[in-house]
Amino acid sequence: MTNDTSVDPGVDAPLAPATAGPAPASAPQKTGGSWTSKLQVNRFSGIYLWAALILLFSLWIPNLFLTNATLQGIIADQSVTIILAMGVMVALAAGQYDLSAAQVLGFAAVSTAWLISVAKVNPVLAVLITVVGCAIIGLINGLLVAVVGINSFIATLGTSSIVLALTSLLSGDRLVGPVTDSFKQIALAKFFGVPVLVAYIIVASVLVWYVLEHTPVGRRLSATGANIETARLVGVRVKKYIVVSMVISAAMASLAGVLLVARVGTVSSTIGPSYLLPAFAGVFLGTTQLKPGRFNVWGTLLALFLLATGVKGFQLAIGANWITYVFNGLALIVAVGLAVVFERRRTTKVKDTPKVKDISN
Amino acid sequence: MSDTINTATEPIPAIAIKSLTKSFAGVQALKSAELEVRRGEVHALLGVNGSGKSTLIKVLAGFHRPDPGAEIMLGGEPHEAGSASAAHAAGLRFIHQDLGLIDTLTVEENFSLGTKSGRGWLSDRREQKRVQAILDRYEVDIDAKSLALELSPTHRSILAILRAVEDQMGSDGIVVLDEPTAALPRDEVHQLFRIIKRLKATGVTIVYVSHRMPEILEIADRVTVLRDGRTVATAEAADLTLDSLVKLVLGFDLKALSRTAADAELGDVQLSVTGLTGDVVEDFDLEARAGEVIGVTGLLGSGYEDVLGLVFGAAKPYSGSIRLGGLDVTGEDQAHRIANGLAYAPADRKHLGSMPEWSVRENLTLPDPPSHRFMGWMTKRREVAETLEWIEKMDVVPVETEKVFATLSGGNQQKVVMGRWLRMQAKAIMLDEPTNGVDASAKRAIHLALREAAANGAAVIVSSSDIEELVQVCDRVLVMGDGRIRAQLVKGELTDDALNTAVMTATAAA
Ligand SMILES: Nc1ncnc2c1ncn2[C@@H]1O[C@H](COP(=O)(O)OP(=O)(O)OP(=O)(O)O)[C@@H](O)[C@H]1O
Ligand SMILES: [Mg+2]
Repeated sequence: MTNDTSVDPGVDAPLAPATAGPAPASAPQKTGGSWTSKLQVNRFSGIYLWAALILLFSLWIPNLFLTNATLQGIIADQSVTIILAMGVMVALAAGQYDLSAAQVLGFAAVSTAWLISVAKVNPVLAVLITVVGCAIIGLINGLLVAVVGINSFIATLGTSSIVLALTSLLSGDRLVGPVTDSFKQIALAKFFGVPVLVAYIIVASVLVWYVLEHTPVGRRLSATGANIETARLVGVRVKKYIVVSMVISAAMASLAGVLLVARVGTVSSTIGPSYLLPAFAGVFLGTTQLKPGRFNVWGTLLALFLLATGVKGFQLAIGANWITYVFNGLALIVAVGLAVVFERRRTTKVKDTPKVKDISN
Repeated sequence: MSDTINTATEPIPAIAIKSLTKSFAGVQALKSAELEVRRGEVHALLGVNGSGKSTLIKVLAGFHRPDPGAEIMLGGEPHEAGSASAAHAAGLRFIHQDLGLIDTLTVEENFSLGTKSGRGWLSDRREQKRVQAILDRYEVDIDAKSLALELSPTHRSILAILRAVEDQMGSDGIVVLDEPTAALPRDEVHQLFRIIKRLKATGVTIVYVSHRMPEILEIADRVTVLRDGRTVATAEAADLTLDSLVKLVLGFDLKALSRTAADAELGDVQLSVTGLTGDVVEDFDLEARAGEVIGVTGLLGSGYEDVLGLVFGAAKPYSGSIRLGGLDVTGEDQAHRIANGLAYAPADRKHLGSMPEWSVRENLTLPDPPSHRFMGWMTKRREVAETLEWIEKMDVVPVETEKVFATLSGGNQQKVVMGRWLRMQAKAIMLDEPTNGVDASAKRAIHLALREAAANGAAVIVSSSDIEELVQVCDRVLVMGDGRIRAQLVKGELTDDALNTAVMTATAAA
């Protein structure tokens, strides 16, 4: 008998839902006492870390780092990722991984470029067609998960490959573009020296924040992700929320794609997937910040700017591309890993792992 | 009792705890608590909800590290609290309320998971024989090959206990059970007691937590009472009566629940069910009117425990129709039923009732978070105010809206879930085992809240195995046997004895 240790022994400790979807990197809480409690991943640690990074690069490469170009670069790079991440976060809050989101972004970019440059469609119509098309992909994802009952991880992995095929067909595996200069203004316009991208970031964030964190709709969506059985029994139409969250994820991804093509003008069919990791890294890192244990908008935003600052700084300092991938990957593993490890310390404080690991979960 | 007195003279206690303090983020759950358990006795650890029982047990189990200064001796040896392996080595075994069984594995596989023989190659046939032998030795009618999820709640508890003790506990073994009977129907408890008595006969020491006082008097040799984290009394069970025990635990006299608010006039039919048939339940009819509290009971397996879930639609019925007010909701989903005034609190609060990581506030307002009509903005202030109102009404301790639900004591979690549904002011409120795991005074608070809801025009339906509770709170009680309603007792004839008899004969007749 060893379940006395790994299973939370309380009659008072509810189990994680059996149907658990993605769990936020759980938040450590203060228990006081040991040295670990003083070193915990604090809910503001991201802010400190961000400040530390800025300080580091300001001292290391002041001429390169402390420039307007760097700031604009970070904003430009992140605007696409942020909009993608907001959508992915909505799906995660409803308990679903949307792994196809980045490929949908790539498809949206290629489709917009193709419609404008090859089919000569009016840009407004091109965007409209693209967003609706991508929303339909999201709808298919949602139906596969909610109605057919396929695990979202698997379902979106599958659709992701099919969307890649569509992208490849449409582009003929060549670069597509360029889009018209007037279309590019969507991304390049400035007002009083402030890039319009800032407005997009603010609008997307505030909108998702409002709906997800401050309306009953958002509460129910999060309930679906937190414990789907409880949610169903308190009257949440969980299937509807799952489908809607997948549609939102795909639609936001397509908007990110439109923005991307407006920024770069010409795109290839393989442009999407590189956005997957940064978006997920930002969202999961975000769950350790500000509102620990929850998928939350401002935490995600903080995490994404933190990551972007690190990436940009190292790129400028070292000047190699691989650093981007290393930094994103490491940041995700280290930050979330720390949160998980400290959480475990907090709840068990057991030195030797018992044979039965968390058998109740 | 003479043999307990003999063992009482034995000098070295199995467990001796002194000045045990445990704080969580500023809250002291235990304040210099003490506990002395004699070798070979059944020792009941009692106290109201949130008094620190589970915390004390979690410290023993190595799950929490106590604040510095605690003195814990096991069998005369100092014990390093906060280490699970040390607890195991010292012969301590714990059975927690969620039991830690894996539903989709067989009885035998569940056994092997938790024992030493899980090391290396598992021979299925040999394991099965070994496990079956243990089950037979304790004369329990469980097939080692059946899946854990096919077992009755009682057999599940027994399985968890046997799994915990089977690795040859000697007389220095100590088994700690935290509310092992909270989820069991009253009439099944004796099966569990048989196992406990057999263990005791082999010299094992038992620590037992429960809120069911008659149970304590039946099984315990001595009791220790915690109040607000402090040990307030240790007494011989033989010296106690039911009343004195309740008084000892609460610290004040609990007058028998007198019905408040002279029973309301019966109003319109709020819920009507006709011909409802499910896996067990057959042809269930019910007409519940505004102002009445209706009980549903029976033996385990009679269907009484399935009825409310079927009416709510949590489980799909084969046939039957359900009307809410005048509205037919037969084919509709739960969301639609809730929107039209049905509320349902399932008995399985752990899996089905809560968002453990969320705050008390979010858990309480879950079905209907208060929001502005304009654009649905939720104001936290209003939500907090409503939550406060309900947790005060339900007697939740501590009165804190932002506390993480999972850190509430078991009984207080229960009260929050009850408050959630009473807040909804539904036409028909259905509650499965509404007072599982709550202390005597909170039980009374919940009963009063049920009567008040009825007086305010709801039809309240309670399914429970607690005969006393049903007699105290209900206007009429339906007794089920073998899937069908076998008897109905109305107010004049509703006594403990009559209801008990009805429950027993309902099955005999079937
Ligand atoms: N992890 C925790 N964090 C914060 N507070 C906690 C934690 N665990 C328990 N508490 C608090 O400690 C107090 C004692 O809780 P405990 O679970 O020991 O009560 P209990 O006697 O088992 O009650 P019940 O009969 O309701 O199960 C409660 O006020 C509870 O809210
Ligand atoms: Mg408890």
